[in-house]
Amino acid sequence: MELIEELKLKVIEALNLEDMKPEDIDPDAPLFGDEGLGLDSIDVLELIVLMERNYGIRISDSKTGKEIFASLRTMADFVSKNRTK
Amino acid sequence: MIEGCFKILHSVSLSPGLALLDGRKLFSSPGSANFLSDLYHHLRAEYPKFFKMDVLCKTGFLAAEILLEAEKAERFVMRNDRAVLLCNASSSITTDRKFIEGIANIDDFYPQPSLFVYTLPNIVTGEIAIRNKFSGETSLYVIEKRDDGILSSLIERAFTDDETLSAVAGWVDASSDSEYEAELFLINKHL
Repeated sequence: MELIEELKLKVIEALNLEDMKPEDIDPDAPLFGDEGLGLDSIDVLELIVLMERNYGIRISDSKTGKEIFASLRTMADFVSKNRTK
Repeated sequence: MIEGCFKILHSVSLSPGLALLDGRKLFSSPGSANFLSDLYHHLRAEYPKFFKMDVLCKTGFLAAEILLEAEKAERFVMRNDRAVLLCNASSSITTDRKFIEGIANIDDFYPQPSLFVYTLPNIVTGEIAIRNKFSGETSLYVIEKRDDGILSSLIERAFTDDETLSAVAGWVDASSDSEYEAELFLINKHL
């Protein structure tokens, strides 16, 4: 499965986006703010846990985090380059 | 029944499979395993954050939605004269149990932030206040068992300040994902 599609499913599950289907998520749309998925500060913590648990990636720098979680595509790019599992 | 120096405008009762407004059936879905989601869709609440809530918050949120729609006043207008006063007995036990399960295995130790948030039982009052832009008092009292006398006293006390003129108040409890109940009232202070 392509990494972006895999991430869509994991994000929907982790954030309980019950009414959302993978095809509803634009991989280039912003994850936070009023556009795109409109995620909040608790959601970003959940994404950090998701990255560590599924891909062995630890994110502790908030500046880096903003870049990584800009969109699903930036997440996928970071995972493909840094995953340890 | 709650009673005191205040006027009850509307009441909502919510239990698995059944929602009543002012004693009359508003929605039922007997035997549904997803009754709260069914009710959410029936109400067309359009608040995606609902799906992230735990069972206690979902129950309180939906009961408040029914109550405030019944008021037929403009919704989502900032007001500091309306309090949210709730009581329950089970605190946040349903989410507490899930959170403990999630950190029980030292080899798979990943505390979930989205669960941790709901280990604070008073989050349900905040969810209702945020949704409806209420900036008055918000309180949740964990008591041994339902006691309308205590609730009546709490409501009367809230009305003794100079600001509070109205309250969403009542009982909301969830001892598991399938055992939940709410009885909320929309109340005005007697002027």
